[in-house]
Amino acid sequence: MFTRRRVLAGATALGGAALLPTIAAAKGGLTAAIYPGTWEDAYRAIVIPALKKTYDVDLELQPLFAVDEVAKAKAARGAPPFDCFVLDPGPRITAIEAGLFEKFDGKKLSNASKVPSAFIDEWGICVGAQVVGIAYNPKKLPAPKGWKDLLTDPWVSRLGITGFQTTFGTVSLIEIAKQFGGSETNIDPALVELKKVLPKIAAVGQPAAMPGLFQQGQCDVMYTNTQTVATLKGKGVDIEFVKPESGAVAFYTTLHIAKGSDAIDNAYKYFDTVVSTPVQEALTKPPYNFLPANKDVPIPPDLPMKSLDEMSTYVLHDWAKINPLRAGWIEKFNKEMAK
Amino acid sequence: MKTALALRMKGAGYLGEWQLALPLTLAFASLFLAPLLLLFGVSFFNDDKLTEPGLAQWGKFFGDPFNYKVIADTLLLGVKTVAATVLVGYPLALVFIDLSARLQRVLLFVIVMPLLLSVVVRTFAWIVVLGHEGLINTLLLRLGLIGEPLKLLQTELGLVISLTQIEMPLMLLPLISVMSRLEPNLRDAAAALGASRWRTLFTVIVPLSMPGLVAGCLLVFASSTTAFISQTVIGGVRLIYLPLVIWQQSLVVFNWPLAAVASMALLVSILTVVAALSYLGRRASGAIHG
Repeated sequence: MFTRRRVLAGATALGGAALLPTIAAAKGGLTAAIYPGTWEDAYRAIVIPALKKTYDVDLELQPLFAVDEVAKAKAARGAPPFDCFVLDPGPRITAIEAGLFEKFDGKKLSNASKVPSAFIDEWGICVGAQVVGIAYNPKKLPAPKGWKDLLTDPWVSRLGITGFQTTFGTVSLIEIAKQFGGSETNIDPALVELKKVLPKIAAVGQPAAMPGLFQQGQCDVMYTNTQTVATLKGKGVDIEFVKPESGAVAFYTTLHIAKGSDAIDNAYKYFDTVVSTPVQEALTKPPYNFLPANKDVPIPPDLPMKSLDEMSTYVLHDWAKINPLRAGWIEKFNKEMAK
Repeated sequence: MKTALALRMKGAGYLGEWQLALPLTLAFASLFLAPLLLLFGVSFFNDDKLTEPGLAQWGKFFGDPFNYKVIADTLLLGVKTVAATVLVGYPLALVFIDLSARLQRVLLFVIVMPLLLSVVVRTFAWIVVLGHEGLINTLLLRLGLIGEPLKLLQTELGLVISLTQIEMPLMLLPLISVMSRLEPNLRDAAAALGASRWRTLFTVIVPLSMPGLVAGCLLVFASSTTAFISQTVIGGVRLIYLPLVIWQQSLVVFNWPLAAVASMALLVSILTVVAALSYLGRRASGAIHG
């Protein structure tokens, strides 16, 4: 017979049982945000098993773009949905301003000496760099030389562009603006020039849709990062990367600990594993092609940089200046590009 | 036994009818109404850090003529999708009611099938179909009907075509459930009284199926105007609808007050059309019932 007391007792027991695995997992668990695509694939294949083996920590990855991580953490107000961020420079500054990070102490990492000293600061650690330039389909088009070429035939009618939502989109549009007299803080010339050729442009898409559009032949030239090129190439897509005449853009990718995380020790173990020599070596190999953040790891010949010191020869941007302008640029892009 | 149980329940003073609705009411209030009120509250802040109360974001949103175009385009997309689903779906529902029970089951499975796939998969499948080198263009090129590929992806036409397929089950399911309950003798009676098939359709079947049709239109309209993934992936970002604006403001530039204003604009404009549709539906079905 079901009495209220029995049902309540049963429910309590069930509820208690449901809590058990959580308590068990909390001992050696960590949740980290990671970029969808190449980053997620690589960290799943290499970092998760390495972290488990070295420190017996179970890593759970949450695929999120940088801006989505910041939005979620802001919305969670002190109870972060994940313990670690992976961010580009722009969202990193936004997150620091919003107080979303725990302070970071690089000395706690056993591999700290293997990482260039400039890669560690009070907020986190740099674990890689992304290089942005032009990707094109060599079977359909000749190689473009620079950003200006994108807006002329034969490239423009096969061009796919995205707006200012992502870091790679923003820096590419800044570089296009620079070719026409603009600057890091003045992107208007890019919009003026794009508007002139707008009817010819093959696709104006969401950043996440661009690889799919390229793969389907909707566009044959686009701005993107070297990792997307490597991933598509790995899938058998005809795609090549071009470093524009004016220089490819580079930016760092950094890991941070979320403010309010209850797994800070595990977060340090995670960062330590990511920059360890065997993991960095594995990450530089195809199909992942990461630029290493560990001085002991040589850069493979087919990557766009020969050493991380070369980073200074790339075009770098000041995101403290860009961030406050970005909201206005997004609105402008909407209005200028709208049908 | 039943009476005894009922008496006991009544005697014990619990499980009145309203109490049965309590779990759903609580869930609705805490998971839908409270966040909605919160959203409304957020819209009354001037800054993205939510420190300074004010109407600045309302002024910004409604002071910009571009946003009126975005609202109009969003509603128009819903209207076009509804029109297309009715044009394709209604004849299919007519065919459905005349089929044998076995074929009806097969057709019902085919209709429901798209719902079993994730909307992301369906949307990306449409890229493959509509793309520059997609199925349609390849077919037309091989047949020699076109000289160079048509631009279908990233156009409103392509978006409406794909939304028609994606939203079709929402139109057909209520329509079929109402139409299969129509009294078959009514059609024979209309024919016996000398009505042509078209006249029977428009004066008997359509008015009687109105509740299903209106329900289908409401669902398709509400779903297609808010279909962010399909709108942005198939339509591209040159076609700007309210969900894209909300996403940009909330997740890219973190201006939550402005995102909240845009969300309210979307909610109110959709509710207005939905209310108008259900009013018209009630009047149309009232014409035959009462």
